[in-house]
Amino acid sequence: MRFIKNYFMTFAAGDIITKISYLIMGAGCFLRGQIIKGLLFLFLQASFIVYLFNFGLGQLKLLPTLGTATRVEVWNEELQIYEYVQGDNSMLILLFSVMTIIIILAFLVIYHLNIKTAYNNQLTKERGGKLNNMIRDIRSLFDSNLHVTFLTLPTIGVVTFTILPLIFMILIAFTNYDQSHQPPGNLFTWVGLENFRNIFWNDPLQARTFVGILQWTLIWAFFATFSNYILGMILALMINKKGIRLKKLWRTIFVMTIAVPQFVSLMLMSRLLADQGAMNVLLGYLGIGPIQFLTNALYARITVIVVNIWVGVPYTMLITSGILMNIPADLYESARIDGANPVKTFTRITLPYMLFVTTPYLITQFVGNINNFNVIYLLTGGGPLSLDYYQAGKTDLLVTWLYKLTVNNQDYNLASAIGIIIFAISAAMSLIVYNMSSSTKKEETFQ
Amino acid sequence: MRKILAIILTLAMFGAVLAGCKKEPETITLKVWGSQEDQAMLQEMIDAFKTAHTDANYVITLGVVSEADAKTKVLEDPAAAADVFQFANDQIVDLVNAGALYEVTRNKADIIAANMEGSIEASTVNDKLYAYPSTADNGYFMYYDKSVLSAEDVKSLDTMLTVADAAGKKVFMDVSNGWYIASFFLGAGGKLTVGEDGKQVCDFNNANGAKAGEAIKAFTAHNAFLTGEDAVLTGGIGTTIAAGVSGTWNAEAISEKLGENYAATKLPEFNMGGTQAQMSSFAGFKLVGVSSQTQAPVAAMELAEWLTNEENQIKRFETRQMGPANINAANSEEVKANVALAALAEQNQHAVSQKEVLGGYWVPAEAFGTAMEAKDYSKTIQEMLDEMVAQIQG
Repeated sequence: MRFIKNYFMTFAAGDIITKISYLIMGAGCFLRGQIIKGLLFLFLQASFIVYLFNFGLGQLKLLPTLGTATRVEVWNEELQIYEYVQGDNSMLILLFSVMTIIIILAFLVIYHLNIKTAYNNQLTKERGGKLNNMIRDIRSLFDSNLHVTFLTLPTIGVVTFTILPLIFMILIAFTNYDQSHQPPGNLFTWVGLENFRNIFWNDPLQARTFVGILQWTLIWAFFATFSNYILGMILALMINKKGIRLKKLWRTIFVMTIAVPQFVSLMLMSRLLADQGAMNVLLGYLGIGPIQFLTNALYARITVIVVNIWVGVPYTMLITSGILMNIPADLYESARIDGANPVKTFTRITLPYMLFVTTPYLITQFVGNINNFNVIYLLTGGGPLSLDYYQAGKTDLLVTWLYKLTVNNQDYNLASAIGIIIFAISAAMSLIVYNMSSSTKKEETFQ
Repeated sequence: MRKILAIILTLAMFGAVLAGCKKEPETITLKVWGSQEDQAMLQEMIDAFKTAHTDANYVITLGVVSEADAKTKVLEDPAAAADVFQFANDQIVDLVNAGALYEVTRNKADIIAANMEGSIEASTVNDKLYAYPSTADNGYFMYYDKSVLSAEDVKSLDTMLTVADAAGKKVFMDVSNGWYIASFFLGAGGKLTVGEDGKQVCDFNNANGAKAGEAIKAFTAHNAFLTGEDAVLTGGIGTTIAAGVSGTWNAEAISEKLGENYAATKLPEFNMGGTQAQMSSFAGFKLVGVSSQTQAPVAAMELAEWLTNEENQIKRFETRQMGPANINAANSEEVKANVALAALAEQNQHAVSQKEVLGGYWVPAEAFGTAMEAKDYSKTIQEMLDEMVAQIQG
């Protein structure tokens, strides 16, 4: 609001030069002697207009339909081939439209800057002051405007490589960009909230798959987070305990699993636990029938949680070791004098203290586990597949399902919708838990 | 602005035409995708192509994308895909639907005449030829250990299982894989087709399909049944495994393991509710396609044709033991003497084209096979097949 108000107020208060700069960018600079700066503004305006009329507007015009012209074949008798006249490409139209909108927004910022500069110049002149010349402008970039120097490049980078693709992919959730609408042969178009409706109730198979996978994702995230947390802490406690010898040796041994890249251990585990894998061969020698570690739904779910403990516990052990050593020893001493047993000291002293310090860490772990692609995909590949689910298996998380939908099935629309839902769930959960945690509520009481 | 551009372009084109009179060899850049194992062989073919075509200066780069991944990679970004790529024929419908393949029109009659009927059929969609057949070996059949099973035993699946079990050995088949499990349903007369609306039509849940389902259940429940990945078969054959279903890509490994006892034949008959039915299979072909977005369609087509001509199909057989789709090449003595390819040719008489199998088939079929292998009988076979078919047709 303030911008719009300023826009008109400045126009009213401006002299003729300032008024001209509303139409011709940079006029407020070069008419007042700041030639280079003024020409820079003018150049930006000119290139923006050229871009918009040669390219940008054409794309924006197609945005509401995402293209209507399909590919046309023209027979070339001499070469004996069809020549294809490429039609509209919905994906490129969407991408370039988003780009054009961002460029327009960026231009508006520069336009605003142009007016502000023109008006400030006017005020300076009226006061009888001297305007900055180019050299002083450049010098200011290393002094009063240092933030501009430092942040321009990162901002451009973030906009082009993060924000633009993000908007593009969010928009795909509202189209029918799936297997049967693949550019360049086919067009896709807007379908509104259709994909979300399908996931939640319209399409019974997809809805059932979504609910089933969401449940398992949450169960998995809970167990994966807390099993690692509690067991890692107990491990650290045991190693830290007085009277345990060779502390450094034990720590090194457990940390060694970190030295092997996670995906290598996971692939090995997956081979080891396969139906015909080493583990089952070994069990066979012992006379125990093959156990379907990875092909029975329930066993597979237990297996991934257990293997994840094996992979993840060393990290928790490292992190908690430090915090555990910080707990004042007198607390334990007084507890012992009062006759508390080890379980009681753990639940009354260690755990509350740890939770107080590590809730934010737990939240990131939980959200990380909701999106824990590696462990699931490399260990079970989401399997065992199930007829109850749409293109998914019993250990698939939302994120691995999303991967399968995009890579195997090209259902980009559905995958994008799921991506948005995962974000909503993770964000909501993190915010609620974080705000309720004692780390936030009793921040001041931390000693 | 547009008009000015158009005028400049027209002038430039005239200029190009005039300059063309000077007959300077133009530079044509092409990109080719093939599997990792084929790289050296493809490079030799490409070098030979360059030697044979001196009319232009060809710059041909070779990239690694296997036949199995071609569809995924091409559809990720058709504009960035290779001009010429190898792919498995089950991907052709999806590729054509996405408009990714260039229709083959140059020398069409010659190509059709030179290659097997099945391979041409597999390269054709809506009566239009969209690819060049390069091999006819993407199928499967039965390898067996002659010391355990006789040529008579391998005619019936039941006999095979009984004999193998008596010898304490296994019969291997990866039932949790849509490609292999289909052999029962197709053998029972099931059909996989593409309907008018472009969706998959499947009748694997009719009465015959249910009988096939029961046969799969009996097979997977048998003591001598064994499943797993290819490595399980190649590792165990000769020791714990007496016979296994696989394709030519394992021929070398298996013949090495079995030595004198190496043998291969068509798939056996299975017990379909009391009567014996011949197991069918998918006849798969590897094809070479041209991207519809190529900048040099004529050169790309010439290269694709070159990579799949008789000479180079023989080369594929000699270097990689791939069965030729070219009729002359397939009739050569060397090809006929190859045990695995002979078995495949025998099985191909009972095979069904994989062309009309869409992407949505594989996961539900694998899910059914997984349930069978896991001996999950919480639902009846009929119920499971109904679910499977509903998903396939989804």
